[in-house]
Amino acid sequence: MIPDIHHPVWTQIVSGKKPLPSTRATLNLLIQSNKMSYQRDPSPANVDELVAKTHKFFTQYEALFAAEIAKIL
Amino acid sequence: MPTALNTTLHSIPVVQAAIADGESLFLAGSRQALSRLPRGHWIGGTISYFMTEEGGQLSEDRIFVTRIPEFARSVSTADYGPGQIARIYQDAPENGFTYLVVPASSEVHKAFAQQAPDCDGFLLRPVVGWVAGVRVDRIGYESPAVFNGKTGAVLEDRCAALHVALPPNRLADIDIVNIFESGAGDVIRFVQPSFRVTRCLIAGKPANLADYISAHGIHTQFPLVGDYNGSSINVSFQNVDPIAHAVDFYAPVFPGVDYRFAKPVNDYAGAFTRQMAEDGPDPDFACNCILNYLYGNLEGKKTGRVTGPITFGEIAHQLLNQTLVRLYLRDIG
Repeated sequence: MIPDIHHPVWTQIVSGKKPLPSTRATLNLLIQSNKMSYQRDPSPANVDELVAKTHKFFTQYEALFAAEIAKIL
Repeated sequence: MPTALNTTLHSIPVVQAAIADGESLFLAGSRQALSRLPRGHWIGGTISYFMTEEGGQLSEDRIFVTRIPEFARSVSTADYGPGQIARIYQDAPENGFTYLVVPASSEVHKAFAQQAPDCDGFLLRPVVGWVAGVRVDRIGYESPAVFNGKTGAVLEDRCAALHVALPPNRLADIDIVNIFESGAGDVIRFVQPSFRVTRCLIAGKPANLADYISAHGIHTQFPLVGDYNGSSINVSFQNVDPIAHAVDFYAPVFPGVDYRFAKPVNDYAGAFTRQMAEDGPDPDFACNCILNYLYGNLEGKKTGRVTGPITFGEIAHQLLNQTLVRLYLRDIG
């Protein structure tokens, strides 16, 4: 189950504090993109944008990333 | 009702007939071959190298056809200039994907490579495709081009897109097959996105990349491999200029990514076949890199069961090099 968008785990994921290993390139491009964006701009506004995008990603691709979603919490 | 085309090389008359029958197609072929096609629901790009059922081959009188499946909800064509990269994602369907073909060494090639990862919609609106090229013995004499079949435009400075909307039970799933992995050498980092590099950080110390390559006898037929959360993303060497002390790449390097030189690969065809041996369904689309074809001597050799154009760059959300890209349109029930 995908955690609610307001769950603090999303901030940990987009900031790289919570690793989310995967063998899937599409997800790894997202994780790396988040990491680079967070390093450039760790402001709360940017973190909110990254969280929204990441949550939307998992919602959209829920059927493909069940194994990774199970590791989020 | 005509029989739908298989995803493979076809003669020009067969493709002309398919277009006339209203099929939506993503095409790869020589400029001469694509120029003989009528207007219709298709885009294409110039390339003369292909992965086929018989192995890698060069053809200038046949066209590689990827047809849009009948379950697609809608299909639309468009073309975009270097200042319009964000619009690709704005025009893409909410659920679906976009086939994109970009002329090599153009401003739109550079713009897509550098801007796509920062566009609103990146990854959420999947973009898959390749970079158009020419026969390697005609580099410098001919220009790559892309075609918008809807308008009849032949474009050397714009990219062509086929936006495909899918029904709710289908999901576009893009993956990559990379036969290269990072070697054990020093970590290389860059300070800005660029196709051309002089200075960088190697093992945390300022260095000149061209000088480092020369001093260490690095074989530049193998790519630089970026670590994207465990996925290997290649950037291939175009040229090492010892006079200007500069290195040119076929895709940009990015700050914030740890790069290493790749481990050498000797048997390219075997490496691809091993990586894809356990896969189930055939992809709906695939492409592979011209550098793999050339350096791996893939003419006449099979790379698993996968077929598709052999290109001057691959697109799996972002521009890649020396990588096999696959698209699956998954039935998620």
